[in-house]
Amino acid sequence: MKVSLFATCLANALYPEMVLTMAKILKHLGQTVDVPEGQACCGQIAFNSGYFDDAREVARTLIDSFEHSEVVVGPSGSCIAMIHEYYPTLFENEPAYLEKANELIQKSYEFTQFVVDVLKKPDLGASYSAKATYHPSCHATRLLKIGDAPLTLLQHVKGLELVPLPEAQLCCGFGGTFSVKMPKISEAMVAEKAQHVLDSGADLLLGMDMGCLMNISGYLEKIHKPVKTMHIIQLLGEGMRS
Amino acid sequence: MTNTNEFINQLASKLGRATPTETPNYVASNVPQYRLSNPKERASIFLDNWQALGGKGAIVESLEDTVQCLRGWFGDLLAAWPNKPQAIIAWDLLPTVAEYAFKALEWPLVRYTQAAQTAVDRYSLAALAELGVTGADRGIALSGTLVINSHPQRGRAISLLPPRHLTFIEASKLRDNLFEVLEELASLGIPPSAIEMISGPSRTSDIEMDLSIGVHGPIEVYVVVIDD
Amino acid sequence: MTMYNPTIDQRVDEALANDFLRLATRRATDRLRNNKYKATAELGDWEKWRQAGETIRTHVVANLDFYLQQLIGQIEKQGGHVHLAKTPADAIAIVRKIVADNNSKNVIKSKSMISEEIHLNHALEEDGSTVIETDLGEYIIQIAGEPPSHIIVPAMHKTRQQVADLFEPIAGHVLSSDTPTLTRFVRLQMRERFLQGDIGITGCNFAVANTGSIVMVTNEGNGRMVSTLPRVQITLMGMERIVPSFRELDVMLNLLARSATGQRLSSYTSILTPPKRASEADGPEEFHLVILDHNRSEILGDQTFRPALNCIRCGACFNVCPVYRQIGGHAYGSVYAGPIGSVITPLLEKDWKTWGHLPYFSSLCGACSEACPVRIPLHDLLVKLRARKTLSGHTPQIEQQIFKTYRYFFTHEKILRRALRLGSRLQWPLVRNGRISGGPPPLSNWTKSRTLPKVATKSFMQMWSELNP
Repeated sequence: MKVSLFATCLANALYPEMVLTMAKILKHLGQTVDVPEGQACCGQIAFNSGYFDDAREVARTLIDSFEHSEVVVGPSGSCIAMIHEYYPTLFENEPAYLEKANELIQKSYEFTQFVVDVLKKPDLGASYSAKATYHPSCHATRLLKIGDAPLTLLQHVKGLELVPLPEAQLCCGFGGTFSVKMPKISEAMVAEKAQHVLDSGADLLLGMDMGCLMNISGYLEKIHKPVKTMHIIQLLGEGMRS
Repeated sequence: MTNTNEFINQLASKLGRATPTETPNYVASNVPQYRLSNPKERASIFLDNWQALGGKGAIVESLEDTVQCLRGWFGDLLAAWPNKPQAIIAWDLLPTVAEYAFKALEWPLVRYTQAAQTAVDRYSLAALAELGVTGADRGIALSGTLVINSHPQRGRAISLLPPRHLTFIEASKLRDNLFEVLEELASLGIPPSAIEMISGPSRTSDIEMDLSIGVHGPIEVYVVVIDD
Repeated sequence: MTMYNPTIDQRVDEALANDFLRLATRRATDRLRNNKYKATAELGDWEKWRQAGETIRTHVVANLDFYLQQLIGQIEKQGGHVHLAKTPADAIAIVRKIVADNNSKNVIKSKSMISEEIHLNHALEEDGSTVIETDLGEYIIQIAGEPPSHIIVPAMHKTRQQVADLFEPIAGHVLSSDTPTLTRFVRLQMRERFLQGDIGITGCNFAVANTGSIVMVTNEGNGRMVSTLPRVQITLMGMERIVPSFRELDVMLNLLARSATGQRLSSYTSILTPPKRASEADGPEEFHLVILDHNRSEILGDQTFRPALNCIRCGACFNVCPVYRQIGGHAYGSVYAGPIGSVITPLLEKDWKTWGHLPYFSSLCGACSEACPVRIPLHDLLVKLRARKTLSGHTPQIEQQIFKTYRYFFTHEKILRRALRLGSRLQWPLVRNGRISGGPPPLSNWTKSRTLPKVATKSFMQMWSELNP
């Protein structure tokens, strides 16, 4: 399959190595990988803040950049959920783009969902020794409904001991602009999430959305309780190299 | 105060059409319903669920059973109740077994509807009574619920004001779930002024989520299931 | 883009500093949520029940004019009186008049969110009536002079000692703060009130259109007292609160009890068709139903927000909301708190200045929508409210500017690439050990409590095009 990567704005700017690792893993799985130019952001940051017009133009740019792609894969359940859940709303009055949006919805996947559900490769042959816990990000779980795909990948990593995260279903308090618009509430939320991470006894926190991980690890670092934090892609990348 | 037509017409305009003249149809979604296989199971599960809510209960098969059961629950209490002749307040007519049992025990029953001239006086009597005795029209096994319709010879305060409430219900009146009960109630046409569904004693968790029994309604609730 | 009204900020600060409130909120919502899970799991296919609930509610709301007309007709046929109130002021005037016409002095109330919505008690007290809330939680906050902090557990924020302190002046002696003592005090205290009450005011969980019945659910039995003992019963209902017939009550009562408290049915579910029949020994002789619009008809006419009228006020969204969990109900500032409160308050009150903050009291995690027994897409509605606010020009200028800038860069990827490269060079004063901590607002809103990774020297897009020229 020819897979087009959607880097997502956050990973593009802050975690480029992780996206590169995603490309390597997909190539390793026999896929042809490309990165269409022009792509930048799903538009969620503006959409969630109520700026639909600004979000729509950013979304349009994204739709255009993937117009000729066969399959689109991104390292974030939240960004892919934005496409699936809200592009139809954004383009409800533009039949031409609504059709294009629906095409993108049909062919776009979050990374773990793509590997487990589409490629049917639950075992990437990775090994990584750590006691880890996993945060199921809200949008991937509730909106995109990727289910156990991330856990399936993790369960196949040799040497990885997975311990449950207490109250895992609770939002970490990131919420995009929420974290700066309601900083105190957001801080209270991430404080509780961080405590649950510490309570889990894990020395590694895993997830499949860099926004949430950046939030939790940023807080843990600020309170001087740094727990190593990795995107599942980063873990698989390192685990497959060894 | 707003005129009804004006109010309704405004809603119709918000809905962008004229008000329907006949009951609008819709396709109801089916839900899986709780079903039990036989009456014996129904009675025993009803009782389990009633007890789980904090009620006391028994299944009786004879007058002797009933007498024994009532004596066991209230015999000692009765001796201690100060206002004995007015301690037990009841419907005008209880299920036959209940009537016979109270007669056999020689426990006097105050008949609520005839006990006083005014409603306020009846409430006072009920509030002073130690035990209110009623029957029930239906019961729900799944939720341990009694369903009691109002009626001129009954009175609603009997199951509400005394600290204890005792109900007699024939096993044949038990249903598996709420749905069956509502279907039967719907077939009554104009409903009685009150249908009270009672599931256990009065309860509250309003103080620090700490469960407490009997804040307003009955503190102790008893049910006798008559095996018919 | 952080400017919110200082009073809201203050309320949030107060809530976050109140350790008991936060502990109590966590404890209560955890309990209610876990009870709900158990109660819904045993029903079999919970999703089917939710679907059924949504179908019924959507149908009723889409035919609200018909069902209201039917309900009004039935109640009048049975000798009840129906009063239609366009505004809270209308509703208050109606109740005032009924109380005055009956020369009533002792008003006893069971829980009614409508009476909170219209702020009824104060008005009646001004007229010289004694108004007593009889639900234990409502009674506590009535004495304290506070609004409910949770739709099902209104006094959740009070410690038992605070409750004892509130009761003591009424008791006239010292009360120990254990639950049995406090509840026994209320039982005795309230008994007199119940027996003396000449008007009972109740809420309404559902009204049944084809029979003219109202359905009321309580656990304490106070709802039964208030609807059985006084000579006159007034029931307050929001105009959307209807089911077509008894049949639909199966789904609705199961959804309500299980979602609210995890019970199979509440202790007391009363289906009342007042007034009492002439030959009956008890029950109200006179019945008034007050139906409140208060901009619900506006919501009805708005396709986007119409699903908000499907709500059955079970509180399930409160119990899963991570924002409510941290700040409790009072920080919202509104009568209805939690996710549903954040949706309906701006719609009912139509005042962005006062209530415009509410749609932002959500991280949009979607837990509320998932928990809602009638499948209201609450987090969607919150986003759409934000969009309405933006469109109406009520968002800060600087915020509008920020998103214009965002739009420019993220529709011009090549320029964005250059901007990121520039950013990675300019960020050095903020970087310590490879992380950013500090900086000006709005960045500081993040860095006050978290560090941030620095902008990569090369963005992924840059990196990729260099690797694959």
